[in-house]
Formats: sequence, C-alpha cells, structure tokens
Amino acid sequence: MSLSRWFSRRARERDRAEEVRAHLDLYVEELIARGRTPEAARREARLAFGNPRAPLEEIQHMSRLPIVDVLGRDVRFALRVLRRTPAFTFTSVVTLALVIGACTAVFSLADAILIRPLPYPAPERLALVERTTTTPGGVYRTVTVDGATWEAVRDHATTVDAAVCRPGGDGANLVVGGAAAFVHQHRVSAGFFRVLGVPPARGREFTAAEDVAGGPAVTVLSDDLWRRMFQGDPEIIGKAILLRGEPYTVIGVMPADFRSPIDVDLWTPLRGSSNGEGSGTNFNVVVRLKNDATWDQARAELAGLRTEAFRLLRTTKGTLDLGVKPMQEAVVAGVRDPIVMLTWAVAAVLLIACVNLAALLLARGSSRTKEIATRMALGSGRRAVVRQLMVEALILSVAGGLLGLLVGHLGLNALKALAGGTFEEWARVTLDARVLAATMGLSLFTSLLFGLVPAWQASRLNVQAALADGGSRSIAGSARHWPRRLLVVTEVALGVALLVTAGLLLRTFLNLWSLNPGFDPRNLVTASVSLQDARYVDASRINRLFEDSLQRLRAKPGVVSAGVSLELPYDRLLNRAFRFAEADPSALASMTNAAYITPGFLGTLGIPVRAGRDISEADATTSLPVVLVNATFARIYSPGRDAVGRRIRIAGSEREIVGITGDVQQRRSLEMPGIAPGPLTSLPIVFVPAAQTPEEDFRMSHTWYTPVWSVRAQSPADGARAIRQAIGEVDPLLPISEQRSMTEVMSTAMARQRLLMTLVGVLAAAAILLATIGIHGLIAHSVNERRREFGIRLALGATPAGTMRRVALSGVLLSLAGALAGGVLSIPAARLVQSSLVGVGERDPVTYLGVAIAFVLVASIASIIPALRILKLDPVEALRA
Amino acid sequence: MLAGTLDMLILRIVQGGPVHGLDIAQRIERQSDDVLLVEQGSLYPALHRLEERGWIAAEWGTSETNRRARFYRLTARGKKHLAAETTRWASLVRAVGRVLTPDKA
Repeated sequence: MSLSRWFSRRARERDRAEEVRAHLDLYVEELIARGRTPEAARREARLAFGNPRAPLEEIQHMSRLPIVDVLGRDVRFALRVLRRTPAFTFTSVVTLALVIGACTAVFSLADAILIRPLPYPAPERLALVERTTTTPGGVYRTVTVDGATWEAVRDHATTVDAAVCRPGGDGANLVVGGAAAFVHQHRVSAGFFRVLGVPPARGREFTAAEDVAGGPAVTVLSDDLWRRMFQGDPEIIGKAILLRGEPYTVIGVMPADFRSPIDVDLWTPLRGSSNGEGSGTNFNVVVRLKNDATWDQARAELAGLRTEAFRLLRTTKGTLDLGVKPMQEAVVAGVRDPIVMLTWAVAAVLLIACVNLAALLLARGSSRTKEIATRMALGSGRRAVVRQLMVEALILSVAGGLLGLLVGHLGLNALKALAGGTFEEWARVTLDARVLAATMGLSLFTSLLFGLVPAWQASRLNVQAALADGGSRSIAGSARHWPRRLLVVTEVALGVALLVTAGLLLRTFLNLWSLNPGFDPRNLVTASVSLQDARYVDASRINRLFEDSLQRLRAKPGVVSAGVSLELPYDRLLNRAFRFAEADPSALASMTNAAYITPGFLGTLGIPVRAGRDISEADATTSLPVVLVNATFARIYSPGRDAVGRRIRIAGSEREIVGITGDVQQRRSLEMPGIAPGPLTSLPIVFVPAAQTPEEDFRMSHTWYTPVWSVRAQSPADGARAIRQAIGEVDPLLPISEQRSMTEVMSTAMARQRLLMTLVGVLAAAAILLATIGIHGLIAHSVNERRREFGIRLALGATPAGTMRRVALSGVLLSLAGALAGGVLSIPAARLVQSSLVGVGERDPVTYLGVAIAFVLVASIASIIPALRILKLDPVEALRA
Repeated sequence: MLAGTLDMLILRIVQGGPVHGLDIAQRIERQSDDVLLVEQGSLYPALHRLEERGWIAAEWGTSETNRRARFYRLTARGKKHLAAETTRWASLVRAVGRVLTPDKA
C-alpha cells in the first residue's frame, strides 16, 4: 500500500468521527426542538445511536488494509520477542553477519573477476587463439602460441582482426631526470589497442612499420606512469625517454580508465616473428571477430591455417589444432578455480549457519509451543503464526545482513591483503551496488532458509494436545524432532566436506613446506635487476657488471659470500634443448632447465657439489667450455653412467660436464617422466658459467628473466644494504627491481597454496564451530525438554549414567551419520581443489578418515557435555517442575 | 434485521436525493411504519462500506437547520446495484412466500 493512501485513510477516519458527532448534535437539536430538555435530548440521542465509538472502531477495523498494519504489528511483536531473548538474538545476528559478510566478500571477487565482462567494447567478440594438442594420453589446450602461428593468423585470417602480445609483463629500466626506476612493460604488436577496442587518449599506437625487427624505439605510456613520472606533461608525445638504456620516443598515452589484463606501466613493440623469441610458444594472439563474421567461421578458418601455423612446431606425440578461447575465459583461467572453490566453501558455511539458526528457531518453536497454541486457540490463523515466525526470521537476517555488509567490507580488505602478490586481480575489487543488492537478497534468502522449516512445523501444531499436556510435561521422542536431527546431520556433513578439503590443502602445503630446498636459506638476501637494456647487450659488458659488483659486494661489511645467477631456486627457469655430443644429430633434442651462474653462486647458496668440481674464475671465455648439471639431470639423462666427463651440446657449443650439484626446488616449467609432481619440484638443470655464455643467450634470457644477486651475510639487513650499495656504485642507472630474502622467495613460491589453505581452513573452522554448537544445542534442548521424563525414569530406578549415555549416544549417532554423508559429499568438493593439490590424492583416505574421526570426536564431546546435566538432575525437583 | 438488507434500504433511501445519516435512519423507520428500527450508530459502518464500494458518494454540506452534515447520494454504479438487488430481493420474497404458503402458489 502506498503512503499517500495510508494518509488519506487517516483523514477519512477523522472524517467519520466528525460525521458521528455532527449526527448526534443534529439529533439533539431536533429533539430539543421537539420540546425535550437539553439533558433528556442528549440521553435519548445517545440511546438511539448506541455507543458512538462502536461504529468508528468497526469502520477502522474494516478499512484496515492488511500488509502494512499487520506487518507493523508483527514487526513490533517480533522485536518484543527478540528483545526478551537477547542471547539468542545476539548469537543469531552475529552468526548471520559473519557468514553473510564472508559471502559478500567472496561474491565481490567472483562478481568482479568471473562474472563482469572485460572492460573493452564488445568483449564477447574478443578471444585468444588456442592451440590444442591431441595425443593418445589426452587433450592439452593452451593459449600460448609461437611466432609461426601469429604470422599465419596475421597474414591469412579474414574473419578476425588480430594482434599479438607476450602472455605476461616484464621489467624494464626507466631513467627520468637522472633517477632510475624499474617499471612494468608489456610488449605488444601493432594493432593491439585497436583489437582491444581502446585507442590511446593522446597520440597513437604502434604501426606495422614500427613493429618489425630493427624498427624505431617507440613506446606508449599508461596514464598512471605519465602522471607519476612525467607530471602529466601535455607535450609528451614525440619526446624521447631513456628506457632500457636507450632513447624511446613516446608516441601515445593510454586513457586513465584503460584496464590491461596485467599490471603495466608502458608498452613497447613486440616485433613478433617466427624467429628468435617466436621460435618457441611465447606469445598470445588476441583476436577480435570482424563485424560480419561468426565464431564458427573464425574457428573453421583458423583450423584451416594449421599447416601454415605449425610448420615449425613439431610434436611427436599427437596432432595440433588451432581454435579460439573467449578472452574472458582465458583471462580468468588461473584464478577461476580458487574463486569457485571459495564460493562453494562460503556457501556451505552459510548453509550450515542457516541450518543452525533453523535448529535454534525450531528449539525456540518447541519451547514456544504453548504461546503459539494459545494464540491459535484464540483465533490466530496458521498463516498468521507462520507469518509471525517468518517476520522474526526476517528481522534477524536483515539485521545480520546490514552488519554483514560491514563484515564483508572488512573481509574483502583482509582477502586483498592476504592475496597480496598472489592474485593481483583481487586488488581492484571493491564492494559496489551490485554486491550490496546481492547481499540483501542473500539475507532475505537466508531468512527463508532458516525461518521456513520452524514456522511450518509450528503451524502444524495440534493445539489441544499442546495446551493439554503443556509440551514439557509430555514424554519426548515425538516425530517433531526429525527435522532438527536432519538439520544436524546436514551441518555435520557440510562441515566434514569442508574440513576434508581444508585437510587436503593443509597436507599439500605441508608437503611443499617440508620439501628439502637443497640449500641453506638463512641470512640469504637476493636482488634482481633487469638487463633487457641497450647498455647490456655485449657479453663481456654483462660479465664485467657481474664481476665488478660481486667484487665490491664481497668487500662490504657483514657480507660472507656472493654470486649471480639467472633466476633463483624456487623460481621458473629457462627451458633449453640439449643433446649429448655422441647422440645422433637427427634425433629429437632433450629438454632441461638452464641457467648461467657466476663462480661463488653455489657456495653462497650452500648448494653442494656432489661429484666433480664447481666452476671457478678459471672457466673463462677462452678456456674449455664447461657446465655443471644437477643430480636430477644425471639421474634422468645419464642413468647408470657417470655424467661427469660427458659432453653435451647446449647454448651454442659443445660443453663438458665437470660436476654434479645437489638438487634444488624449482617452479615447474617442464613436464617429463621421472619428475615429482607439483608446482615445486627438482627439475634437471644445466648450469653454464656466465663467463662462457654467448651474447645471443644473454639477450634471449634477459628478454624473459632477470639475473639475481645472492648474498649470504651476517644479517639480512647487512646483505640488503650491501647489494644496494654495490650495484649502485657500479651502475647508478641500474634500478633494482626486487629485493627479497630467500625465505620470502620461498614463501612466495608457496603463496597460492598457503592462501587457499588459510581461507578454506578458516571456513572449515567456522563450519566445525557451527556444527558443534548445533549438536550441543540439540542435545541440551532435548535434555531440557525431557527433564520430567528423566525425573520419572530416575525415580523408577534408571541409573543416571545409563540415561545420560542414551541421550549422548543419539548425538554421537547423528554425527556419525553426518560424517558418513560428509565423506560422500567430500568427493565432489575435493575435485574442485584437485588442481591445487600436491603429493596428496583428492581421495586421500588418511585425510578423509582423520577428518571423520576428529569430527565425530568433537561432536561426541558436544553431545556428552549437555547430557552430563542429567547426572545432576534431582528426580523430586524434576517431577515437581 | 436480515443480513444485507440494511445496505439495500440505505441505497433505496439515498436514491431519493442527498440525505445525511440521521435522515436515513429516520426515513427507514418512518417508511417501514416503525417496523424496522435502526440503531443509528450501526448505520455508519454500512455507509462506509457502501462508499468504499463506490455505490454511494458523500460530501459535507449544511442541514436545513444550518448544521454541518455529510450528505450521501447514489452513484451510477450504486443505481445499477440497487436495481439488481431489488429484483433479487423481490424474487427472494416470492420464493420464500411460496415455501411458507404453498397452497396460495
């Protein structure tokens, strides 16, 4: 009903009152005119009219338009009821606030990352070219393709407008006003912004003429970098900036609201071709469907480009196909699973909380039996009773929802802080109107979930029976209890499923944590520097940088030893093909990780040399080319034969293996038999002395990876200061991109697993807590309700212990049933995290059994504690109550 | 009084032109030769209901003695309703009559 009608009704009621008064006055006057005394006239008029308030009340009642008034009354009544039980109200509202808040936070992530379209015009027309490898063992899809594929799409595709870019960003050195800064660059082709559909706000993007090998040095800046480093200089277009050691001409600035899929400060031309970088699968090809084309046509056309695209890429094991993957899907691929899993987990906790509240309301319902029966006996309809109970649930959930928004806001900030560098996409997520609406919808939905069952049960009350035996005087065990039992089984099942998932993730984390790193991480500090720099092309120039800086570094106070390597343990390394010197040159090459190192690197990290010797300053450009390999390399590629002394062809020349090092953990970049599964593992590595690394190798390595200075010092602070000073002294224009202690490096490598484990663990803890409260509540309530019955039993000779056992047993049995159901439920739940598990199967029996036993134990304690009250029960008092 | 008949009587009286509540009560009594006695107060819920249904309309005016009173008149819909009710009532009376005194039928 609208407000205006409500007001007009008020006016009409006043009108009626006035009319009745006028009626009486008129009649009195008439009677006086007929000769009555005023007093007699008034009496007679009053007699003829009857009670003047009666018709008014009747009218008022008649004209009551339902909803608002009834609801108003219900709300007032509900508030009164809720005020009377502050403990219940507080518990419910806080529970709801926490779970709704958690849902709000996670939903914000899911909405922003998975549901919202990409921030480009017509995002549904954007896709990445996808390569599918079909082998007898399975189908593998990837959106990273090689240069030949890019050339084929660029030159022959007519249904799509295509551009190419690196799958991720890399670092670059920018010098502005004499100060060096490390910035994030994304190397993209001409037409990249045209394909995305967002032109630069100033200037233009790269032309095809600029996007070829040997093209001019040009760059497009992000709005943020332009404002931050160049004070928003309106004349920036056409100016040269010192980037990667040489002058780059700024040709464009992107708009402030342009969102790149990755964190970027500036863009440089990729110059992608089938040579060099493009000889491997190092590119993403972004395509936009042309206006008159359909995806089916595009797919068909791309499939036809197969021979063209794969003329360089050989596979021994299967067939290759080209297709497209919607860009939205491709962009969120890495973060989708964790978010989906989190969403399920919070939904489960929400469900458990609702189940708990439903059980609480049911318990209240049965203690309010008499009140409800009285109301129904007095003529309150079932619908009115249900409505009343639903209004109570609604008030609780709306209060919970409002508080939940606050919790959600805090929760989202906490998630963002926790996710730090792990899921950069989360950082941009904020609570907004959509999420707000979803939260309020969720509150209403929960009130339905936990309010409906109790209300329905209350409405089925047999009034006479309830009033006659007064509820608590009857013998318990009536059919009324089955919904609560079912609720308890449900929440135990959900709790077990969550806990199993958390357990699997915990075991994953422990597995990674307990990996032997292969070196001593204490007091090790590292710093990386981008050498994708025009001043560091020459191999001797690079080696001079390493030698000079290491020399100064070793002389700094507190420094024990120092060395340089390409990347680090616990990071990804370059995949390189190699061949044993004696192998047939026509056979396929084998794959290994490869890194250059300086003398002193192995010693600094504490990586042992198991056989042969370490490299030294004597292994110089002019001396015999040598390499070291690690134990995994020797085990896989030289089984049953001493690897030391064998010669391999790698990095352009034939080199002799002079030593075997211990294994270290690497981030997985290779799939091959004989390697332990998981994101961190010991891969075969070939260490090449930096001094013997050819220029071409440096160039290629430094396009993707950065050299890392490692220092073992008396304290991490000493080491950090020493690195900064030493590099600064040798080249003040070389910015340090990242400085971390080795323990930070290690924990970053496990950040994903730790984050997932923490989040699911917190949710699982909440689930257990709620389920325990639920079971405790059920038993406590039934003990309370059956006091009289127990009194009789005890008076008739039942032992308190026996009675207690029976009551507690019902709780234990319920939790057993719940644990069984939970075990079944865990199987699909665990499948959601399967991709994140390491060293533990998704159906790991130890975890399943352990969780079930732990849960049943906790549940048993939760049922025994309230049952203990029976021991203290005084039969005489119980019977009198 | 028979349920529903009061509404019909009111509509019939109001058909005669704008009348106020007291007038309606008195007319019912007078025209029924004091057989139908109306408790004046009970008139108002009925008036309210009829007005809500749109069969009568009312506005404030002054009585012949210059007192403020609310005057009711029949609306077009009320007129139609009264006609239907009158017919229904007549047939009802006939039917009841036939049952009570069958030989006369």
